[in-house]
Amino acid sequence: MDTAPINFDDFGMDAVSLAGPLAAKLAAIRDAGFAQVMLSATDIAGHPGGVDAAARLVRASGLRVTGFQVLRDFEGLSGRLHDYKIDIAKAMLAMCSAIGSRVLVVTSSTSTHATTDPDVLARDLRKLAMLAVPLGIRIVYEALSWGRAVREFPDAWDIVCRADAPNLGIGIDSLHAFAAKSSLDDLDILASDKIFLVQLADFMWQEATSTEERIDTARHFSVFPGEGVHSRALAELVTRLDAIGYRGDYSFEVFNDDYGQLPPAVVCERARRSAIWLSQDVLQRSMPLPNQIRLRGRGPSS
Amino acid sequence: MTSSASTASAAAVTDREQILDASNPLGIDGIEFIEYATTKPQALGQVLETMGFHPIARHRSREVLLYRQGGMNVIVNAHAAAGPRTVAPRETPVIAAVALRVRDAAAAYRHVIEAGAWAVPTQVEVMELNIPAIHGVGASRIYFVDRYREFSIYDVDFTLIPTVDPRPPALAGMRWFGIVQYIGTDRMEDWIEFYGELFGFRTVPDAERYGILPKGRILKSPDSSFFLQLIEPKPGIVDVEPEETLQRVGLGVPDVLAAVALLRTRGVSFVETGDVHPDARGALTEGRLGGVMFELVHDARPV
Repeated sequence: MDTAPINFDDFGMDAVSLAGPLAAKLAAIRDAGFAQVMLSATDIAGHPGGVDAAARLVRASGLRVTGFQVLRDFEGLSGRLHDYKIDIAKAMLAMCSAIGSRVLVVTSSTSTHATTDPDVLARDLRKLAMLAVPLGIRIVYEALSWGRAVREFPDAWDIVCRADAPNLGIGIDSLHAFAAKSSLDDLDILASDKIFLVQLADFMWQEATSTEERIDTARHFSVFPGEGVHSRALAELVTRLDAIGYRGDYSFEVFNDDYGQLPPAVVCERARRSAIWLSQDVLQRSMPLPNQIRLRGRGPSS
Repeated sequence: MTSSASTASAAAVTDREQILDASNPLGIDGIEFIEYATTKPQALGQVLETMGFHPIARHRSREVLLYRQGGMNVIVNAHAAAGPRTVAPRETPVIAAVALRVRDAAAAYRHVIEAGAWAVPTQVEVMELNIPAIHGVGASRIYFVDRYREFSIYDVDFTLIPTVDPRPPALAGMRWFGIVQYIGTDRMEDWIEFYGELFGFRTVPDAERYGILPKGRILKSPDSSFFLQLIEPKPGIVDVEPEETLQRVGLGVPDVLAAVALLRTRGVSFVETGDVHPDARGALTEGRLGGVMFELVHDARPV
């Protein structure tokens, strides 16, 4: 493998893109030159030996944890359903903390039992943010393109602004933005320091209009940036985020049935090509100077 | 601090008509006790006694002692708690809990849980009080106590040590001034929001400083009776995020230098380095037992 020093520390893979046990996933991601990994609750909950053993593996890998996902259908519920979801949220926060993640990803609710009242959605997210404070966790709220009330990132932004909690921010997912045909001009309304995460993926067809198509595309047919048909838009998305001052992490949010039956190293190589394309050709990042101190991230690049 | 006349009239209105003060949703009325956890309770007890605290009572079922001087209660807990995010007592004492006096403990507890606090499952023995608690910073807890007027929580769970004065006066007029909390990098806004949302704490202007260690941000309790000082790590290359913890308590005194002189005669040493040394604004005791320290702060508030 080409190991020439290329700085793509801001880009990370998602363990969910890979087949195999957690240890093999982490090793493949690290060996491909990535410095960070997004973890899913399923990676951790199903790990033999439990959460603590999984947490030890993650720490030993040397990879920084981009975030932990995903809390679904959380906001807008009432009564017993609300109490139930608070319990689930607390369990997710506890796992998130245990594996050393400072970020929990929450996707907009798809539940027909949830209200669409934005103030109620905001109130629930604010409560979640308060629950996350003692654990040192930031909440990332992300629009699912098949969400009930919140389907596009400007909708999520509105809720995050209403909730107004310092540890609550927005996540942007390129696949949902393309599926929902969100206007990239709307990126200009965002405050870059309230964008806590960007997840990148593409797909192989121009449109995903129905809810079923969108779910199918996101869960089975998403590909790495540069592999799909929206490469130009994806490059524009990343460039515009950079232009408004976003300096946070980019995580490849790729769920693909083909990748799930290939050796992790093969899939990681595709991710690596994608990261190099984005960092070199799109963002034109260079290697940091030898004495340049990076306060965030503990990648092996220096 | 506050205009005593307006406070008194507001209190009269509240008492008569049960009108809730929106700026003090829990009806916070100061600190009921500070709890330390340690496996060396006698060693900590000696340190507390040099500071003027007296052992008053012991817990009926656990290795827990109550120390007191004036209006300040300190609990020394050597009893290992079970469950996640609890303080396992170590040799080095840590501040394991703060108990807040509130109007109605059950209502206060419901209010903060609804706003996003973590409940601490209580483990009470037969005939013991169930004091509601939530998780605070790190492994610490925040208790809510509403029995502090006619009778106290100690009447139920504690047995008085025979022959001791249960109400020893405070040395040098000491009273609770505040608590210093160490926080992580970029965590200032998170904690300000947390204490504001759940308890009604408000930040004081940066120009308003107390003591001789003016770092970080200061929050005032909604009843204006005590302060929280939040201190971030020194800027620099932070590779391992430092622990967030309740670092020390602050004791208010009307005359710092007189208090320092008195405490020195009792064997208390004070930090005297280039920047930090006792003066009229405050003083810091030298760390004992691996880090237990007390900050004296000039406190001009009326008693």
